[in-house]
Amino acid sequence: MRWHIALALCLGLAPCALAADDKPAAKYEIPYRLTDTKHVLVRAKINGKGPFNLILDTGAPAVFVTKAVAKKSGVDLDDKGWGTFAAFEVEGGLKIEKVKTRVEDLVQIEGMNSMGLAGVELHGVIGYNVLAKFKIEYDFTADKLAFVELKGFEPPPPEKIEAKGTDDIQSMGPLVKMLAALSGIKPNFEIVPRGFVGIEFDDTKAGVVVKKVLPGSPAEKAGFKTGDIIEAVKATNVEAGKDLVKALAKAGVGTKHRITVKRGDKTEELSVELGKGL
Amino acid sequence: MNAISKFLLLAGFALLPTLTVAEEKPAKTAEEAKKLDEKPITVPFELLKSRHMAVMVKINGKGPYKLIFDTGAPTNLINNRLAKDAGVMKKDEKGGMMFGLGGAKTMDTLQIGDVKLEKVPVMVMDHPTVTAISNALGPIDGIIGFPFFAKYKTTVDYQKKELTFTPNGYVPGDAMQGLMDKLMKGSKGKPEPGVAAPAGVWGFTVDKATNDDDAGVVVKEVFAGSAAFDGGLRANDRLLTLDGRWTDSIADTFTAASLVKAGRAAEVVVKRDGKEVKLTIKPAKGL
Repeated sequence: MRWHIALALCLGLAPCALAADDKPAAKYEIPYRLTDTKHVLVRAKINGKGPFNLILDTGAPAVFVTKAVAKKSGVDLDDKGWGTFAAFEVEGGLKIEKVKTRVEDLVQIEGMNSMGLAGVELHGVIGYNVLAKFKIEYDFTADKLAFVELKGFEPPPPEKIEAKGTDDIQSMGPLVKMLAALSGIKPNFEIVPRGFVGIEFDDTKAGVVVKKVLPGSPAEKAGFKTGDIIEAVKATNVEAGKDLVKALAKAGVGTKHRITVKRGDKTEELSVELGKGL
Repeated sequence: MNAISKFLLLAGFALLPTLTVAEEKPAKTAEEAKKLDEKPITVPFELLKSRHMAVMVKINGKGPYKLIFDTGAPTNLINNRLAKDAGVMKKDEKGGMMFGLGGAKTMDTLQIGDVKLEKVPVMVMDHPTVTAISNALGPIDGIIGFPFFAKYKTTVDYQKKELTFTPNGYVPGDAMQGLMDKLMKGSKGKPEPGVAAPAGVWGFTVDKATNDDDAGVVVKEVFAGSAAFDGGLRANDRLLTLDGRWTDSIADTFTAASLVKAGRAAEVVVKRDGKEVKLTIKPAKGL
């Protein structure tokens, strides 16, 4: 009888214990971009500062950040150039505490930044010590990377190995900087918004038809009407929506554009000054 | 210019030097993709002492050779020895040296586990970091990087020590070509700033004061009848994220919007009356 009770208790408890253990592994959708150099870039805040642009690199044994980033985010270094992030938050909601980091101005990062090769300023890399904690799915047809926490898995730290013959790489940094100087290429990491028109359109057999003119928008001020068929931006013919988007792809706020529309039997030329907004 | 392209190659990978101070304590087309079995293919990897992932590959039917799988490498790379052994390069040919010429070759076939690709671009070069790892940890002859794994939905699992590849039809662009374009174009002084163009029309404006260091931007105006209005966005909301991306500056807001195609529903998080509110906004085709 007692035995039965014990069994019942056991059975009763077992699911509880399992439930605690079965707490699903945390999943994260991490926004990313590919740089012009085809590196997988994510953003992260370190001790609440940033965001900083970091490359996911399984070829790196640890997180690496530049000295400037370490300083900005208040990371103290030991005498060997290692530090710890009290709080490390990767865009997409992934938060990790106490992340070990190497602080070093990597010649690769400096070199790429000196010419703006990646198309975006780089602040470091995320390497093995963070990446190995997650099962990571890379799919460049998707908008996000999928990170699934590997529950109960502690990645074994790198073992010390004797490595020689890396002087070649160290010498590349100054070389690239010199080439940058000689070629006159300077980076510009500034991003400005494209100007705002304020129309919704549809691609139809008749052409690009204005579906909606947002009230108070630059488009309304310029005289766009619902049903207008957009035919050209200045001298560039518009046959599909993508032609229109392309024609104005680099048009900044405050720039003026002549847009030809067909309204009924008439052709009108409208002048629109792009505004702020999206 | 060639030296720079070599440098780019090194960029994601040349991190080994720091290992010596490591912690003391312990182009293919969518069509071709379709030809492949769409089922996931699992490939085991060896976790080296340096904590790089090593995979066994066959090149032109020769091998297997041990190469490092590296998400931070913009190109595939093999050393001169392998290139000659597998016939990627003629015996009397010279591959790319660190500051030398050439090095861009094609592997007729590349086989990793059950994954088999044809006509795969590769750089032939004795990469100093690969050489260093090879000297320390046994023969390692190159790197498998972006041009390979970008063609698949690739999963990396360090616990199971497995890579999983499912063809996804993605066509990897050419990092080298992009680089060359940049070098050709950008030789006259400081380039213009980049322009972030939203991929659809949302129908709102944002602002941020120069002395405002808090997370997010302020929504100034929401146009009546717009996608943003229909999704519930209101003036004076503090926009914190757009499609999971932080919007701490006006530029970041536009960059995030440039990555949401028209017609795709995106989650937008705002702070309103001290509370975080999740909205769903589907930007429309427009500008």
